[in-house]
Amino acid sequence: MSFFRRFAQNRGALVGLAVLFVIVLIAIFTPMVSSADPWKSLGRPLTPPGAQFPLGSDMLGRDVLTGILFGARISLLIGILSAVVSALIGVTVGAVAGFFGGWVDDVLVRITEFFQTIPSFIFAILLVAILTPGLTSIVVAIAVVTWPPIARLARAEFMTLRRREFVEAAVLSGVSQPRIIVREVLPNAISPLIVMGSLTVATAILTESALSFLGLGDPNRISWGYMIGASRTVFRQAWWLSVFPGLAIVSTVLAINLVGEGLNDALNPHLKGRVGVQ
Amino acid sequence: MGLYRTMAIAAVTLAGVMAGSLSPHPLGAGTAHAEPMQGGTLNSTLWPEPPGIIIGVNLNAPTLLPATKMFEGLLTYDFNLSPEPVLAKSWEVSEDGLTYTFHLRDDVKWHDGEPFTSEDVVYTLTEFIPEVHARSRPTFARAEVTAPDDYTVVLTLKEPYGPMIRSFDAIGAPMMPAHIYKGTDIRNNPANRAPVGTGPFKFSEWKSGEYIHLVKNDDYYLENRPYLDEIYYRFIPDSASRALALELGQVQLATQNDIELVDVDRLEAMPNLEVTTKGWEWGAPISWLEMNVRREPFDDVRFRKAVMYALDHEFIRDNIFFGWAAIPTGPIHSSSPFYTDDVVTYPYDQEKAKALLDEMGLTPDANGVRAKIGLLGLPYGELWDRLSQYIKQSLGEVGIEVTLEASDVAGWGSRIANWDVDMSTTYLTTLSDPALGVARSYITENQKQGVLFTNTSGYSNPEVDRLFAAAASEPNPDKRMEMYHEVQKIIADEVALAWLVELQWPTVHSANLKNVVRNGLGPNDNFAEAYFESE
Amino acid sequence: MRHLGFVAGWVVKAFVVVLAITILNFFLIRMAPGDPAIVLAGEAGAADEQFMAQVRQDFGLDKPLPVQLAAYVGNVLTLDLGQSYRAQRPVVDMLFERLPATLLLTGTAYLFALIVGPLLGALAAMRSRTVFDSALMVVALFFYATPIFWVGLLLILVFSVNLGWLPPFGMQSLIPVSGTLNHVLDVARHLVLPALTLGLFYVAVYVRLTRASMLETASLDYVKTARAKGLPEWRVATAHILRTALLPIITFAGLQAGHLVGGAVVVETVFAWPGIGRLAFDALFQRDYNLLLGVFLLSALMVVFFNMLTDIFLRIADPRIGGNS
Repeated sequence: MSFFRRFAQNRGALVGLAVLFVIVLIAIFTPMVSSADPWKSLGRPLTPPGAQFPLGSDMLGRDVLTGILFGARISLLIGILSAVVSALIGVTVGAVAGFFGGWVDDVLVRITEFFQTIPSFIFAILLVAILTPGLTSIVVAIAVVTWPPIARLARAEFMTLRRREFVEAAVLSGVSQPRIIVREVLPNAISPLIVMGSLTVATAILTESALSFLGLGDPNRISWGYMIGASRTVFRQAWWLSVFPGLAIVSTVLAINLVGEGLNDALNPHLKGRVGVQ
Repeated sequence: MGLYRTMAIAAVTLAGVMAGSLSPHPLGAGTAHAEPMQGGTLNSTLWPEPPGIIIGVNLNAPTLLPATKMFEGLLTYDFNLSPEPVLAKSWEVSEDGLTYTFHLRDDVKWHDGEPFTSEDVVYTLTEFIPEVHARSRPTFARAEVTAPDDYTVVLTLKEPYGPMIRSFDAIGAPMMPAHIYKGTDIRNNPANRAPVGTGPFKFSEWKSGEYIHLVKNDDYYLENRPYLDEIYYRFIPDSASRALALELGQVQLATQNDIELVDVDRLEAMPNLEVTTKGWEWGAPISWLEMNVRREPFDDVRFRKAVMYALDHEFIRDNIFFGWAAIPTGPIHSSSPFYTDDVVTYPYDQEKAKALLDEMGLTPDANGVRAKIGLLGLPYGELWDRLSQYIKQSLGEVGIEVTLEASDVAGWGSRIANWDVDMSTTYLTTLSDPALGVARSYITENQKQGVLFTNTSGYSNPEVDRLFAAAASEPNPDKRMEMYHEVQKIIADEVALAWLVELQWPTVHSANLKNVVRNGLGPNDNFAEAYFESE
Repeated sequence: MRHLGFVAGWVVKAFVVVLAITILNFFLIRMAPGDPAIVLAGEAGAADEQFMAQVRQDFGLDKPLPVQLAAYVGNVLTLDLGQSYRAQRPVVDMLFERLPATLLLTGTAYLFALIVGPLLGALAAMRSRTVFDSALMVVALFFYATPIFWVGLLLILVFSVNLGWLPPFGMQSLIPVSGTLNHVLDVARHLVLPALTLGLFYVAVYVRLTRASMLETASLDYVKTARAKGLPEWRVATAHILRTALLPIITFAGLQAGHLVGGAVVVETVFAWPGIGRLAFDALFQRDYNLLLGVFLLSALMVVFFNMLTDIFLRIADPRIGGNS
C-alpha cells in the first residue's frame, strides 16, 4: 500500500490535514493580505461578539478575530521552530549515543536522563525569564525541555540499525562515520522521528500558549496564549476573550495530532498507535 | 497575571484621632449616619503577602496596611496634609524653623504593658530609622534629637527643612519600643514576627499563605476605641477572586491595586459596596513615561514634546485606567498644596507631534518610520502591558517605531537603575512634600547609577536644582510655594518626564463599614475610629 | 547483595542529580538580569546605596561567585536551603507548608486518572473500532490537545460563574467553616475543579496509552493461542492482555508521579491554589533565588524518588527486568 493510501485510510488524519491546511494558509497570508492592525483600538472595549466585532473586542477595544488571525502565524512559527531545534538536538544526541555506544552512549544517556529529571515546565519558565521573553528565548526554552524523548527514540533506532548488515558493510568498507550516520542510518530511522517531530510541534504550541498565558510571551507579537492570559482578569464578564483564542489553539493542536497519527499509520504500519503518547 | 502589580511604592499612615476629642471626625468617605457599633470583625484583602510587618525594615504597600494598625507616629495628616496629633498631643515649631518641640501623651502603653516615653521617640529617630528606614534616613539625619523629660522631645535642625513637619506619620516615623529593640540586631529581632506597638490593634497571628490576624488592644489610650474587635488581612492571590469575595461580603475592604480598575464600576453599582478614591493624598502616585535623556533622540526637548502631543491622555485615562485616574500637568500631584496648573500643557495633537519631529530632521523613511526606540514597560500586570501597547501604537502613528521589551520586576528595576534603557513606564508616590517625593526624580545630585527611584532619566537643569534646594530649606511657606510653582513651569516646559496619569486607587468597602478613609493616609490610618453600622 | 547494590546505585544517582541541579540552577539564576536588592527596593518604593548594600550583604551577594556557590552547595547538602529573600523565612519551612496542598491536588488528579484512564482505555480496546471506541478516542484526543489553563477557565465559567455550584478559587472558604467534617467537605468542594482540570489531561493520556498497549498485546502470539484454546473473551482480556499491557502503564505512571509537583504550576495559578507550583512562579518573578532553588530541588528529588519506586515495582512485577539497564 502506498504512503498516501495508508494515510488516507485514517479519516481523522484527513480531517486534521484539511484543518491544518486552512490554519497554515491563514498564518501565511493574513499579514500579507490584510491591512488591519491587531493592536489598534477600533471601538468600545469589551464589546460582545456582534456586527461590529464578529468575535467581540478586548479590553482596549481591539478586534478579537483580527488578533486570532494574526496570532496563527506566531503560534505556528514557534511550534515549528521549537520542534526543529528540539529534533536537531535530540537526533544528534540520540544518533551519536546509539551509533557509537560505549562510554559516549553512557555519558549522553546520563545527560538525557538528567534533563528528564528536571521538572520541565518550571525549567521552561525559568529559561524564558532569564533570557527575557522573546521569540528566541521561547523557542530555546521549549527545545531544551522537549528534546530528551526524541533523543531516546533516535538512540533506540540507531542502536538497532547499527547492527544491521548494510551498516556493518559500510563501516568495513571504510566510509567515514558522519557519512554513515547521515547517509545510511538516518534515512532508515527517519519515519518514527518524523512522527514524533510532528507531535513535538503540538507540544510546543501548547507550551508556548501556557508560557504566554503566564505572561512570558513575546510582547511585540500577538499569540493565542497571550490573548487568553491578557484577558484573564475579565474572563468572567467577557467569555469571548478566552473562548475563541482557546478554540484556535485546540483546533491547531488537535489537527497536528491527527496528522501525526495518520503519518504514523502511513510510515510505521508496525507501530500503529504506539507513538501517540510520549 | 496580575500577581505583581501591587508591589511598589509606598503608601501612607496612621491614626486620626483629633486632639482632645474622642468623637470621630468623619471627613471622607464612610461618613457616619447610624449608631457606631462596638465590636465586629473586619476582613480585608491584602496582596501580595508582605515580607514582614515592621515599617522601615520593609516599606512595601502590603507591609504598611496591617502595620499601621499596630504602630503609630507622633502625628498624622488630614486630606490637606496638615498635621494632626496622635502620640504627640501638641507641638511647637520655632519662628526660625530650627526647633521642633513635641509634647507626648502620658497615657500610652506598649502592647506588652510598658509605658511609652520620650526614650522610645529618641531611640526611633536616632537609632532605628538611621539603621533601617531607607526613605526617612536622610530626613532625620538633619536633626539632633533630645528628651528634656519623659514626655517632651526636641528636634534641633542646622537649617530649616520644609518637609520636616510632614515626616512624623506612622510610615515615615513609626514609633518603636526601645526596650525591645535597643542594642539588638533590628532586622533579626524576634519581635519582628510578633510586633509590639502602641496602636489600637495588637498582633495575634500570621498564618502564611492565608492571613494576618490583629485583635483589639483593650488598653488603648482612647476610651471605647477601637470599635472593631479584630481585623483579618487575607491573602487572595487573584484579582477576580478578590472582587468576588467583596461581592459576596466575605471581605469588607479592598484598596490600592487589589481590584482591577475594569471591575470597579461594577462593584460601585452594587448596593452593598461603596467606592472612594480619597485617602491617597499622602502617597499621591503619578505614572509617567521616562525617557533616557542621555541618549538620542530623547536629549532633544522637541522629541519629548512630540511624545507628549502624540499620546492621547484622555484615552489612557478612560480606556486603560477606566476613569480611575486624572491627567497630570507636571511633576507635582494635583492634590498637593504646592500644585499649580499654570504650566504648558500638551493636548493630543498628532500633527503638532509630526511637525516637531520634522523640525528635528526626523523625517519618515519609506516605511513611514522616523525613529526606532525601545520601551521597557512596568511589569506589574495586564493594565501596564496595555499601557505599553497603547504607547507603542500611538507613537507608531506619528512615525516613532517602538519595540516593547519584556521583563520581570528584577530585570526592569535593574535596567532602569543602571540607565540601560530608552524609555520605560513606572509610577512613583510623590509623597507628602515635594522635597521628599518629587525632587528625587529631577535633581542632578540624585543621579545615582544602580539605585532605583533616583533621577534615572538623567534630566538636569541647574535652575531646577537651585529651586528645589532653596525650597527645601525655605522657612516661609509662601516663598516655598512660589519656588515650587516656578519649578513646575520649567519642568513641564522641558518635559523632563512624560507624565501619563495621576493614579486614583479606589478603596472599595462594605457600605456599612464607616470611617475607613478619614484623612490623607486613607486605608493606612490606624482604624481606631473604623466601625460597622449597627443594623 | 544484588538488592544492596541496587539501592546504593540509586542513592549515588540521587546525589549526583541533586549536585548537578544545584550547580545548574545556581548559574542559571545568576545569569538573569537584576538581583534581589533591586526587587526589594522596587517593592519598597525607596532605596539608597546603604539599603542596596545592606541587602546584598545580608544574602552574601557581595561575595565572589565561587564562594557563593561553595556556600550554597554546602548548605544544600546539609539540608539547609537558606532563607527566602522576600519572605525572610527558611525556605524549607515554606516548601513544607505548601507541599500538602500540591500533593492533595496532584494526588487526587493522579488517582482519578489512574482509575478512570486505564478503565476507559481497556473498554475502548475491547470494543475496538466501535462507535464507543471512536467517540472515546475523540474526547481523549480533545483533552490531550487542549491547554490545561483553558480547560480550567471553561470549567470555572460553567460550574462557578454560570451554575454557581462550585467555588472558583482557593483551597477553602475565606471564613473558615467550623467542625472537622465541614472543613473536609469545604476543601473537597474547592478541590473538584482544579483536580478535574488536571485529571482530565492525565485521563486522556492513560486512555490512549492503555488502548494502544492492549491492542498491541492482543496481537501477540500467546494471546492468540489463549483465544484459540477457547477461553472466554473477558478472561483473555483480563488475565492475558491486561496484565501484560499494564506494564507500560505502570512505567509511565511512575515517571509521571515524579513530575506531578512541577506540573501543577498552571493549574495552581488558574485556581489560586496555595501550592508549590504557585510558589515557584511567585519566587521566579521576585528573583527569590533560594526559594526557587528549593522548589527545583524538591521537584527533582520527587522525580528521582518515584523513578526508583517504579524501578523497584517493575522488578517485582516482571522478573525479566533485572541487572542494570
